[in-house]
Amino acid sequence: MLTVAGLAKRHALASRPLFSDLALTIAAGEIVALVGESGIGKSTLLNCIAGLETPDSGSIRIGPQALDIVRLDEAARAVLRAHRIGFVFQAFHVLPTLSVAQNIAVPLLLCGVPLAEHAPRTQALLERVGLAGFADRWPASLSGGELQRVAIARALVHRPALILADEPTGNLDPRTADEVLALLLDRVREPRASALIVTHSQQVAQCCDRIVTLTADGLR
Amino acid sequence: MKTLAWWLIRAQFRTRRAATLLSMLAIALGVALGYAIHLINAAALADFARAMQTVQGDPDAVIAARDSAGSVALASINDIARDPAVMVIAPVIETRVRVDQARLLVRLIGIDVFSAAAVMPRLLPRHSERALTGSIFDGGVYASPALRDKLGLQDGAPVTLRRGDQQWSTRIAGDLPAAGADDLLLVADIAWVQEHFGPDDAVSEGRVRLSPDTDPARWRATLTPQLPAGLLLRAADDDNARVSNLSRAYRVNLNVLALVALLTGAFLVFATQLTAVAQRSTQFALLGVLGLSPRMRLLQVLLEGLAIGVPGALLGLGLGYALALAFTQLLGGDLGGGYFATSAPLLVPQPLPALAFLALGCGASLAGACYPAYLNRMQPLAQALKTGFAQRPGAARAPHTRLWLPSLLALAALALTQLPPLFELPLAGYAAIALVLVIGISCAPVVTQYVFGYLARPGLPAPQQIALQNVAQAPLMAQVAASGLIVSFALTASMVIMVSSFRVAVDHWLDAVLPAPLYLRSKATPLPQELLQALLRPDAPFARIERTAHASLTIDPQRPNVALMVREIERGNPGARLPFTGAVMTPPSDDLVVVWISEPLHEIYGIQPGQTLRLPLLGGAVEVFVGGVWRDYSRQFGALVISRDDYLRLGGDFQPTDLALWPLPADAAGEAAGAWLAPYTSRYALELADAAEIRQLSLSIFDKSFAVTYALEAAAMLIGLFGLAVTLAASVWLRAGELATLGALGFSRRMLSRAVMLEGALIAAVGLLIGLACGIAIAAVLTQVVNPQAFHWRMPLDVPWSAVVFGALATLAAAVVASHYAARQATRLPVAQVLASAQ
Ligand SMILES: Nc1ncnc2c1ncn2[C@@H]1O[C@H](COP(=O)(O)OP(=O)(O)O)[C@@H](O)[C@H]1O
Ligand SMILES: [Mg+2]
Repeated sequence: MLTVAGLAKRHALASRPLFSDLALTIAAGEIVALVGESGIGKSTLLNCIAGLETPDSGSIRIGPQALDIVRLDEAARAVLRAHRIGFVFQAFHVLPTLSVAQNIAVPLLLCGVPLAEHAPRTQALLERVGLAGFADRWPASLSGGELQRVAIARALVHRPALILADEPTGNLDPRTADEVLALLLDRVREPRASALIVTHSQQVAQCCDRIVTLTADGLR
Repeated sequence: MKTLAWWLIRAQFRTRRAATLLSMLAIALGVALGYAIHLINAAALADFARAMQTVQGDPDAVIAARDSAGSVALASINDIARDPAVMVIAPVIETRVRVDQARLLVRLIGIDVFSAAAVMPRLLPRHSERALTGSIFDGGVYASPALRDKLGLQDGAPVTLRRGDQQWSTRIAGDLPAAGADDLLLVADIAWVQEHFGPDDAVSEGRVRLSPDTDPARWRATLTPQLPAGLLLRAADDDNARVSNLSRAYRVNLNVLALVALLTGAFLVFATQLTAVAQRSTQFALLGVLGLSPRMRLLQVLLEGLAIGVPGALLGLGLGYALALAFTQLLGGDLGGGYFATSAPLLVPQPLPALAFLALGCGASLAGACYPAYLNRMQPLAQALKTGFAQRPGAARAPHTRLWLPSLLALAALALTQLPPLFELPLAGYAAIALVLVIGISCAPVVTQYVFGYLARPGLPAPQQIALQNVAQAPLMAQVAASGLIVSFALTASMVIMVSSFRVAVDHWLDAVLPAPLYLRSKATPLPQELLQALLRPDAPFARIERTAHASLTIDPQRPNVALMVREIERGNPGARLPFTGAVMTPPSDDLVVVWISEPLHEIYGIQPGQTLRLPLLGGAVEVFVGGVWRDYSRQFGALVISRDDYLRLGGDFQPTDLALWPLPADAAGEAAGAWLAPYTSRYALELADAAEIRQLSLSIFDKSFAVTYALEAAAMLIGLFGLAVTLAASVWLRAGELATLGALGFSRRMLSRAVMLEGALIAAVGLLIGLACGIAIAAVLTQVVNPQAFHWRMPLDVPWSAVVFGALATLAAAVVASHYAARQATRLPVAQVLASAQ
C-alpha cells in the first residue's frame, strides 16, 4: 500500500539531516504506530508521505498504481491526497465557518462524488463516530472530543486507502483519548484501509498491528 | 467543486459582513458615477443632435461666416448655386430676439419655404386657420409648441420682436408641427426677417443639398480653397465634433473622479481579501492537505473577489441610472456645466456600455483580489497549518532594490509630466498621478524600517518597544494599512490643494477683470441707442464709462467658437485692463492691428505672443499682431480682445453689448446710478450688477461646481480609515499567539492595548506623512499639467497649510480611535485558549 525507500530529508537551516536512507512499507489493511522522541522528525515524515513537504531524495509510492508522490507536481499531489489519503491532526482543524456535515462532506466534493450521495454518506459516518444529530451544529459549539470525531469522520468519508494521523489524541484528556482512538482504529479496520499513526501513548501503540520507532539512526 | 466554492463564499460573507458590504458599495459607487456620467452625456448629445436636426436639417454642407458679426453675401450664394453639382441652397437668416417684454431670448429663423422643404423639412410652418391673412409671405411668425406654451401665445395674437433698437411688430400666424418638445423657435419668411433685422444683401448661412451623384466630401474639399476669406464650409461631422469638444474636458474630469472611486473600491477588496486570506490561512492549508489544488486556492480568492464585484457592479448600474435620472431632472444634460441649453434629456440605456461598466466594476474587484490570491496560492501548507499565515513567502527583497524602484518610478513620473496631451486629453498627467501613488506605497516599507528601526531602542518601556518593533519590521499588514491611508490622504490632500489654488487664482483674477463698480449687460444683443445716447448727456451720473462689444468667430469649425471682445482699451497700455501672464509686446508698426489672446486660446491653438497671424475678422482675413496672453478662467474655448480703435479702423461697426460703469465719486454706493439706469434696464430687459455681486456669484458657482469633490474626499478618507481599522484588527488576530504569550509573560491588558494603539498611530503617521508628500506632488501635476491640458488654464500652486495639517491631525485622531477597536480585540483574546491551540 505504502512503500517508502531511500528517503532523505534535511531542513534548510538544520545542522544535520533528520533522516537519510529511510525505508518503510505498510501492507494493505495494516495499521502501524510510529513512535519516537519529540523533534525527531515524525511530523516531517508524515508531511513527506502526504506530499506537503518534499524530501531531498528517495521515493514514496502510494496505492495500487504505486505513484511516486515525490515526483509529482503540486497539483497532482493535491489530487492524490484528495483520493487516497485521509489526515487527522492533533489540533483538530475543523473549518469554523462550515457546519459539521459540511466539514465532513468537503473530501467528497474534492473527489467529485455526486451531490446526491453526500447526505447518506456523511449521515452514516456521523452515526458511526457517535455524532448522530450533530449534522447542522457549528464547530464552535462542540467539545474537543467531538471535534476530533468530526475530523476522523472527515478523514474517512471518501474511503481513502491510507490514513495518516499525527498525534490524534494529543489534545484530549485520557478518557476521551481512549474513546477517540478506539473509534479511529475500528473505523480504519472496517474498510480495510492502511494507517500510520504517530503517538506517544504506549497503550495506543499496543492496539496497532505493528510499532516502528523513529530514532536519529533511522527506523526500528 | 462549485459547491465548496459556494460554501466558502457564503461563509466569507457571513463572517465579514461589514467589510464585504463596504467593498461592494465602493465598487458600486465607482460604476454608478461612471455610468451616470456616460448616460447623461449620451442623452445630452443625442438631444443636441436631435435639436440640431430640427433647425438645420441634414444638408451636405453649410456655408457660413467665420465671424459672428459677419454674413454670407447673396452674391457668394448665387455663385455657388451655379455649380451643376448643387441641387439647391437654402438661405437662412438667424438672429436672437426678445418677444414683447419677456426676458427670454428666442431664435428667430428666416427661411425660404421652397428650398427649406428640400433641406430642413422640420422647420416648415403650418398656417393657422384663425390667422388673419393668407400665407407666410404676408409677414407672420410661426412659433414652436414649446414657445407657445411658455409665452402663452395664441394664433393671430400680435407680437413685437426686438433686437437692440430694431423691432418688428407682427402676428402669430401658426405653429411648427415638426419642432421638438423643447425647441424654443420662431420661423418667418426670410425676406421679412431681413427687412427688420438685416443683413442687407446677405444671409447668415446657406445650406447646400447636392445632387445625388456628387460625393459631398470631395465637393467640399474642392470648394473650400475658392471661398472668400471670411467664409467657411461646414459638414455635419464638424458639428458633432464641436459638440463633443464642448463638454469633453469636463466629462473626462468627472470620469476620473469615478475612476478614483473605483480604485478605492479595488483597494478595499484588496484589504478585505488579504485579511480574509490571512485569517483563513489554516483553513486553506487544511483544504490543501485534504486535496484542494493550488490552482483552486488561487481561484477561490479570485472568485470571492468577483462575488464582491458582480453584485457591486450591478448595484452600480442601477444606482448610476437613478443618479443620471435625478441629475438630468435637476440640472439638465450638462450637470450644471452650462454647455448645452436643453431641459431634461431622455435617458436611453444601451446594452454595450452597460456591459462595459459591469466589466469595469468586476475588473476592479478582480484586480484587488489578485495579490491576496497569489499569496494564498504560495502558502507553504505544512507550515501554515503549524504557525499560520506566512506574510512573505519567498525571500525578502534586499533594501537597495527597494530604494531604486521608487527612484526609477519618480523619474518616469517626471518624464510623463513633460509629455504633451494625447487625443487632447492629459492622459500622461493622469498616468503620472497613478505613478506618484505607486511611489508612495513602495516607499512605505523603507521609511517605516529606517525611521522606526532607529527609534526602537532598548530602554524604552515595553509596550512602546513592542509597538515600534512591530512597525519597524513592516509586516505586510502594517504596509497595507499604511498604503490605504497613503492613497486616500494623497488624493484628498491633492484635491484640497488644487481647489484652493484654483480658488485663490480665481479670486485674484476677479479683482483684475472687474475694475468698475457697476456692470450692465444685454445678453449678447446690441445695447439700445437710446441708452447709449443718454449716457453721453451731461446729466448721466457717471465718472467713467467703458463699452464692450461681444461677438464670436470660428477659427476651426470642429471646435467651439472663440469669443471676440471689442473693448475701449488703450492700445499702448492694455495691462491696465487685462491680467497678462507674461510680457506685453508692442507691434513693430502702428498700422498693424493688435489682439490680446486669452490663455486657453494660446494653449489650444498654440498661438504665441509676438507673432502675427491672419484672423477671420469682418468678412476678410486680417493680419493681426499678438500683443500678449492674458489669464481667463471663464471662457474655456478661448477669447481675444481687440481695441475699439483698431476695430473701427478695420471698418467694423462697433455695437456695444456690455458697459463697465464708474459712478460719480459722490455716489459711492451707486444708488443714484442705479436709479438713473432703472427705466432702461426694465424697458430693455438689461442686467445690472455691481462688481461685488458678480464676484460673489462667480465664487459661489465655483464652490458649487467643486461640491461633489468634497463629498468624494470625505468618502476616500472614510475608506482609508476603515482599511486601517480592518487591517489592524486582522494583524492583531494574526498575532494572537504572540500577544497571548506576552499576556502570559506578564503584560497587563492595558499594556497590550497601549502597544496596539501606538502601533496604529505610528502606521497612520507614516501613511499621512507619505500621503501628504504625494498629495502635494499630485496637486502640482493637477495644476501644472492636467488643468492646462484639459481646461487650458494655469494657476500657481498654493498649499492651504492650516487646512491640510488640520485634516492630517483629525485623521490621526480618527486612526487612534480606529486602532482602539483593534486594541480592544487584542485584550479580549482568551489567552489560555490561544496558547493551548498553538502547537
Ligand atoms: N520548516 C522547518 N524548517 C526547519 N526546521 C524544521 C522545520 N520543520 C521542522 N523542523 C525541525 O525538524 C525537526 C523535526 O520536527 P518534527 O517533524 O515536527 O518533529 P516531531 O513531529 O517528531 O516532534 C525539529 O528539530 C524541527 O526543529
Ligand atoms: Mg510532531
